[in-house]
Formats: sequence, C-alpha cells, structure tokens
Amino acid sequence: MSFLPRLLRSFALRTALLTAAAVLGISALGLGFGWLRSSAALQDALDAEIRQQADELLREWRFGGAAALMLSVELRTRERAPGVLLVQLRAPSGAVFAGAAPLAAAPAGLQGFATVATTDAEGPLRALGIALPDGFRLIVAARMRLVLDTAQTLASTLLAAGGLAVLLALVFGLLTAWRLEGRLRAVSGAAEAVMQGDMARRLPLSGAADEFDRLAGTVNALLARLEAVLEGMKQVTVDVAHDLRGPLSRLRQRLESALAQPRDAAADAALLEAALEELDTVLATFAALLRIAQLEAGPALASGQAPVVNLSATVATLAEAYQVAAEEAGRTLAAEVAPDQRVHGDQALLRQMLSNLLDNALAHGGEHVSVTLRPGPVLEVADDGPGIPAEERPRVLRRFYRLDRSRGTPGSGLGLALVAAVARLHGAVPVLSDAEPGLRVTVDLSGARAS
Amino acid sequence: MRILVIEDDAATADYIAKGLREAGHVVQLARTGKEGMMLAAGESWDVIVTDRMLPGPDGLTILRALRASGISTPVLVLTALGEVERRVEGLDAGADDYLAKPFAFSELRARIDALGRRPAVSQDPVMLRVGDIEMDLLRRVVRRAGQPVELLPTEMRLLEYMLRRPGQVLTKTMLLEGVWDLNFDPSTNLVEVHVSRLRRKLAQEGQPGPIQTVRGAGYILGERG
Repeated sequence: MSFLPRLLRSFALRTALLTAAAVLGISALGLGFGWLRSSAALQDALDAEIRQQADELLREWRFGGAAALMLSVELRTRERAPGVLLVQLRAPSGAVFAGAAPLAAAPAGLQGFATVATTDAEGPLRALGIALPDGFRLIVAARMRLVLDTAQTLASTLLAAGGLAVLLALVFGLLTAWRLEGRLRAVSGAAEAVMQGDMARRLPLSGAADEFDRLAGTVNALLARLEAVLEGMKQVTVDVAHDLRGPLSRLRQRLESALAQPRDAAADAALLEAALEELDTVLATFAALLRIAQLEAGPALASGQAPVVNLSATVATLAEAYQVAAEEAGRTLAAEVAPDQRVHGDQALLRQMLSNLLDNALAHGGEHVSVTLRPGPVLEVADDGPGIPAEERPRVLRRFYRLDRSRGTPGSGLGLALVAAVARLHGAVPVLSDAEPGLRVTVDLSGARAS
Repeated sequence: MRILVIEDDAATADYIAKGLREAGHVVQLARTGKEGMMLAAGESWDVIVTDRMLPGPDGLTILRALRASGISTPVLVLTALGEVERRVEGLDAGADDYLAKPFAFSELRARIDALGRRPAVSQDPVMLRVGDIEMDLLRRVVRRAGQPVELLPTEMRLLEYMLRRPGQVLTKTMLLEGVWDLNFDPSTNLVEVHVSRLRRKLAQEGQPGPIQTVRGAGYILGERG
C-alpha cells in the first residue's frame, strides 16, 4: 500500500482535519464578531462627528435664524471638500432650500440617523435629520465610504488570518500524521518481523521516553518473555532428544541382542527386569521434564492467594527422613529449623524442592550436609563436598546440565532445574555460593511469607 | 473382588483387565465415560478404576456424580504422565487414590488391594497389633514380644502405616505418599533405608523378621492375606 492512501485513512490525518475544521469554525465566529464590533464602532464614530456638525449648525440657527443657517450651510457646502460632509436645509414644502445635491435622495421627513442611498457613484450616506421650527428641516450627512472601506479591509485581513490558521492546522496535522504513521509503521514492521520468526527483533525506541516509547518498552518486555519461553521450549526439545536418545538406544540394543540369543527363562527374566528399570529411569526423566515445563510456563503463584504451608514442619519432617538415610550412608545431616515459618505456596512442590536439594547434597556432597531454615523464611542446604566452580554455578540450574565429574553418577541432571522452577513459582531465585568448602544453595522465600 | 475398569485406550484396558483377572478378580471393562457412569452407578463394585481423560463425561465428573449420589465405592483415578499437578484436584473430587500412567502393574495391584480392604468405617483403636508387634497409639510405645522397641518419630509413622495394613503389599510409592507425603520418588533411597532400620530395630534373636520384601513390588508386614 502506498503512502498517500494509507495516510488518508490515517487516524492522525482525520484528527488533523477535525482540528482544522474546528480552527476554521472558531475563527469564523471570532472574526465575524470582531468585524461586527469594529464596524459598529466605526459607524458610532461617524455618527458622533455628524452630530457635532449638526450641533454647530443648530447654534447658528439659534443666534441668526434661518438666514444665518442658510448662509452657513451654503458656505460649508462650498468650502468643505465635497463628499466628506454634506449639509442641506429643506423648506417646509420639502424643497431644498440650500445645500448639497447628493442628499436629494434623503426622505422628506428624515428624523434621526439613517443610511441613505445617493444618486452619485460615491456610495451611501449616513444622514441625520433634525426638525427645526416653522417646518424647516436640517439634514447633516457624511460619506460612508471610509467606514465601509475600513470594514472591508478589516474583513479581508481577518479572513486571511483565519485561512492561515486553517492552513497551519492542516500542515501541522499532516506532519503529525506523517510522523505518527512513521512510528507506527516501525512498530508494525518489527511485529511482522517477529511473526516471521525473528524472535530477537525488538520495537525501536525514539529515546524521547514518550507514550510510544513506554508502549514499545512494554511490548519489548512481552517479546523478551515470549522469546525466553520459546527458547525454553526449544531447549527442552533439544534436551529431550539428546538426553533420552542415549538410554532409549541402549535399551533398544539390549532388547535386540537378547532377541538374537536362544531363549533362556532365567536370562530373559533378568534382561526384561533390567530393561524395565532402564525404561523407568527414562519415564522418570520425562515426568520431571514435563513438570518443569509446566512450572516454567505457568505464572508465579499470586502472593497471598495460595494456601498457607507450614514450612518449618515440612522441613523438619523431611530432614528427619533424610537424616536416617545420611546416617546409613555413613554421613551426617544437621538440621536447624526456625519454628513457625509459614509461606503461601504449594506444599508438595516445596517438599520436592527440598528433597531435590537434599538428594543433590547427599549424592555430590562430602561427609556433612546441613539444612537450615532461618526466619524470613530462608531455606539453605549446604554440603562440604567439592562444590561447584563459580563460573559453572549459573549453568547447573539449567535442565540436564551436569558437571563433568558427575556424569558417571546416577541422576537426571534435572534436580536443580526443578528447584529453580519451584523457587520461581514462589517468587524466589536459588542462589548458589561457596560453603568453603562445598556448595551452599540458598532459597529466600520471604517473598511468599505468610503471617 | 468385583472391579470396574473405565478406560478408553483398548491396549491399556486389556492389560489391566488381564492382570487383574489373573490375580483372581472379576473385572468389567467400560470404554466410554457414559458406559462407565451407568455401570458405576447401576451395579455394586468393590473398587472402581477410572481414567481421568475419557470420551463423554471424564473420570472426575463420574467421580463427583458418584459421590454426590452417596456411592462411596473406593475409586482409583489413573492419569496421564505429566498431569501430576492435578493430583490434588483428583483427591478433592473424592478419589481414594491416584496413579500416574505409565505404572508398574504390581503398583496398581497393590493399590487396588489396599482400596478393596479399606474398612467401611475407619475405626481408630488405641492399640495396633500384628503378630507379636503392638503399638500403643496414645503413649506412642512399641513392643515386640513384650520387649519395648525404641523408634524415631519417622520410623514410628512407617510402622504405624504398616500395622494398619497388615498382610498387604505396600509399594515404595505408597509408603512415600502415606508416610512422608511425597508424591514422587526421590533419588535418595528413603524407603529402603527406613525399612531396613525398622527391620533391625524389630529384629529378635531366633525370630523371623516381621517385614517381608515382595520382589519387584514392595513390602509386607505379617502374613500375606
């Protein structure tokens, strides 16, 4: 779609046009009113001048009677530049006694102010008629051209100003529409790129920190979360393929070579049992993966919504069970549990999290393992084994990540990934640190604390 | 026992039916939720095994309908792998037990046996007795042949769980769930370790141990019934 048709359909352009129309309307109203007021003021000024002249003439009448007035009218008519001020004295019969000819059109009984058309080309007159004793009538008039011309000039100036305002509104609107269109096009372009599969693409920011940037920032955060989820899914697929292929192909080889052997009840039974065991391991890995994926895809537990779990009791019970297991393995497990620590959460998952931590400590740690629940609550499991080098620590929380030295030992490589997933569900992040020697895993659950 | 199995997957249904019949049970199969619902409500069963996902009304709907009409037949719900989080939901709907597919047949059998024997009204005696072992539930004291046996709280819970189910095969997962409330199998061998401890503590010169291992299935306390 080319720019112009798209622009014409644009919201911004419509806004610009509306703004221009509003400007036009308001200008027309304002200018019209202004013009009317100005015209009225000009006419008032003219009337005042006419009235002043008339007063002077009336004084002549009072001092000198009709003859003096007549003389004065004649004098004024001759002296004054014709077309500026006109005076006429009419006899009771209506005949013009003295004065200017252009006033002939004034009605015979003119009393007060009136606008009078003239016979010449100079345009209308503003005339004041005053009745004198004995039936005489004095008419004083002035050309209206000046007033009309001024009003005309004023009107055209105002119209020009209004037109300019409308034009400015239009230009400004178009510019805004063009800029808005440009920014929105950048956004939809980026969104299309993401749709095409370029998950790393982000919306451009103008750096102005305006509402567009805020929106783009929110959308970018959404895209980042989406990318992480997709990346996680992709990783799971790759992991499943990689880590389940091994045991499954071993199983297949075992069954195939057994099938090639002559049948022997005892050997077959042993083989099938071993095969089942191997399959169970695969299934357990699979279940753990699904569980982690479910936990990672879901939202974190809303604070305060989940049921209250007595973490102290949960930790104490599990620690006791593991103490026996540790002793049987010739190790020690020390538990220190602060009383009455409660969180909002999923008890089964919290139990599994602690269980995984203890499994891990007993499998990879040294002689002594300790589990501590501090007020907060903060859960901590430490061992005195070889620990994990600092640079490896972030990676062991991932699925299937196993340290080189533990590749030979049993375990799916999912234990700490599940710990991380359960912790996230409760608004926490497991922190791995050096127990000097050994590994210490700390999960600060104070975010899920229940009073 | 008369067992109703509601399962839409033919292979799984046949596998369950065959195994249960070999164990001496009478098995009726239902392939849809509707059929299952009618059979479950219309006839009397000792145990009902139902898949969670079914064409027509699903397992939990059937379960709720049964419980709502006052039928308290023990129900075991089977669920697909990865639906473990729904366990609570199933138990809330009135399921007596919950088992994730795929499962070992010995596990299913042990759980069905346990459900079939569940007393209609749970009587809580003060004293549990199996053979020469007795547990005073009030004073938390255990004696074997009159001799006091010192037990840790967790061993006490394990023994109590076993004493309440004498002669039944108790699988590792049943013990993990029943004693420690763990609905997964930790890599640390908690059950083996505790059972062997309990055995040592209960052992007496010249006497056979009271806890037997059932190969490939679990443990049993007392004479198999």
